[in-house]
Amino acid sequence: MSATNGASGEAMLVIDGVHTYYGQIHALRGISLTVAQGEIVTLIGANGAGKTTTLKTVSGMLHPRAGRVRFEGDDISKLPAHKLVERGIGHAPEGRRIFPRLTVLENLQMGAFSRRDVKDLGPDLDRVFTLFPRLLERTAQLGGTLSGGEQQMLAIGRALMSQPRVLLLDEPSLGLSPILVQQVFETIKDINRQGTTVLLVEQNALQALSIAHRGYVLQTGEVVLTGSAESLRQNETVRKAYLGED
Amino acid sequence: MIASSVTTPRTRSGLNRSARIIGFAVGAIVVYVVLLWLALQVVDGFAPERALPVAIQQTINALSIGAIYALIALGYTMVYGIIELINFAHGDVFMIGAFLAVVLTGGIFGQTGGVKDVPFLALLLLVALLFVMPLTGGLNVFIERVFYRPFRHASRLAPLITAVGVSFILQNLALLVAGSGDRAAPQIFPLDWQIPFGGAEISVLSIFIFALALVLMLLLQTFVNRTRLGRAMRATAQDQQAASLMGVDLNQTIALTFLLGGALAGAAGVVWGLRFGFVRQDLGFNAGLKAFTSAVLGGIGNISGAVLGGFIIGFIENFASSLGFSRWSEFLVFMVLTLVLIFRPTGILGQQLGDRA
Repeated sequence: MSATNGASGEAMLVIDGVHTYYGQIHALRGISLTVAQGEIVTLIGANGAGKTTTLKTVSGMLHPRAGRVRFEGDDISKLPAHKLVERGIGHAPEGRRIFPRLTVLENLQMGAFSRRDVKDLGPDLDRVFTLFPRLLERTAQLGGTLSGGEQQMLAIGRALMSQPRVLLLDEPSLGLSPILVQQVFETIKDINRQGTTVLLVEQNALQALSIAHRGYVLQTGEVVLTGSAESLRQNETVRKAYLGED
Repeated sequence: MIASSVTTPRTRSGLNRSARIIGFAVGAIVVYVVLLWLALQVVDGFAPERALPVAIQQTINALSIGAIYALIALGYTMVYGIIELINFAHGDVFMIGAFLAVVLTGGIFGQTGGVKDVPFLALLLLVALLFVMPLTGGLNVFIERVFYRPFRHASRLAPLITAVGVSFILQNLALLVAGSGDRAAPQIFPLDWQIPFGGAEISVLSIFIFALALVLMLLLQTFVNRTRLGRAMRATAQDQQAASLMGVDLNQTIALTFLLGGALAGAAGVVWGLRFGFVRQDLGFNAGLKAFTSAVLGGIGNISGAVLGGFIIGFIENFASSLGFSRWSEFLVFMVLTLVLIFRPTGILGQQLGDRA
């Protein structure tokens, strides 16, 4: 393994030669990547490169037809999504997918659904409200009535409520104003500093690489390039294809 | 702590909402009494002083019939809300519930008529509910597990046709065991318990049925709105995939929905026998159709809508029969349904199970 958690053995999350299909469509063609404890790792690439599919394969929304996904040493390739939350995988999916007719508070409570033994969600709610004070003003409001930015905050906050050890974020900056984008990325850094490992999918490659430790470039379901965020930012091909430079 | 302040606004708005609903219900009942009172004077030419008591008596009967439809309608609407299936076998689960109640009170306890000993009656009713509700709930879970779940990812038509098939299976099972025609149901709740009221008599049984249904509905509402699993049910109805990402086991949640719907249908079956004194294998078709209509009328998938629809159908039927046009009651029911659907295709309240009940 190239990236490890420093001690013995393998990285926290290992995707090993994974092939995933959407019906007949061969979306992931043998992807391998690792995420070590404490890292922010970003997946960049064009639309249809397989970024979202990779996250869905990790969180159990899709299952690989070949290859394996290992989390903290266990093969999780065949486990259903609802079992993976309990194991510590939080997923803020593409399109936010908040519950439109639950209140903000209920959405956050749903985020903690897997922690059935926890009676008092107070400290967790406090943490989310500290990260996103806007949500505190809106607790009794229905999720569907929030603005796009607020919905994004709610989606991230909701994923945090499960106290994930790894957080999968799919396009957290999509549709947000430049100021909000900045804010969301700052928050992701905060979340990471507080100890949560992050696997981040972004269209906004420059932003993503500015907060990530490492990155993978995906193209038509394969990893074509990988390295430290810094090296990817310097890379000629990446600059041309994904950072919008000539 | 920041979060401790969070629950206050919700509770307040919840109180307002309950007050509004109670206000609406009381208002609607009063309007119905007045309507019936006026209509009785015109149609029947009652002595004016008798028309009002009779109108009140009939209104209470309407509430008890409406409550039965509402209890059954809840099962249609919750199942539709969560998996978008019209469970055509649901009426037959209700029918099985009515039969089971007869088996218990008549067969096992050997009762044939009114039980005047109040504590014993209360015990019998309680045992009947505790016996029938888990069984019909369990039957509904079994039906989902065996007949519907395999079609979860098939086209929508497949489980729908299967549901029609299950309906036939249940009816024919009842036919096989009990034979055709009416079977007497022991009316253990004394029918002669009437409260004399200005020339009319108010049925205590009707009050009991209405009160029981109300308690069950409030329990359901509390469960759906206030508990962790109820919240998971609403979340699942809104977005199944997102719910599973929160750790919700979809199979379990769907089974729970069938359990609750089946149990409520069972309760309706118990009181049906008390009120009508017979059971028959095609009971589920008739009452089920009315209850299904109630659910569609209120907005299928919507819990409050099913209750509203059930009472509306109860009132319409009662209105027709009070004025001596009972043969027209079905015509009226379906005319109202048609009109509502023309102008409001999603039903009166027309949202989904995901909403707070």
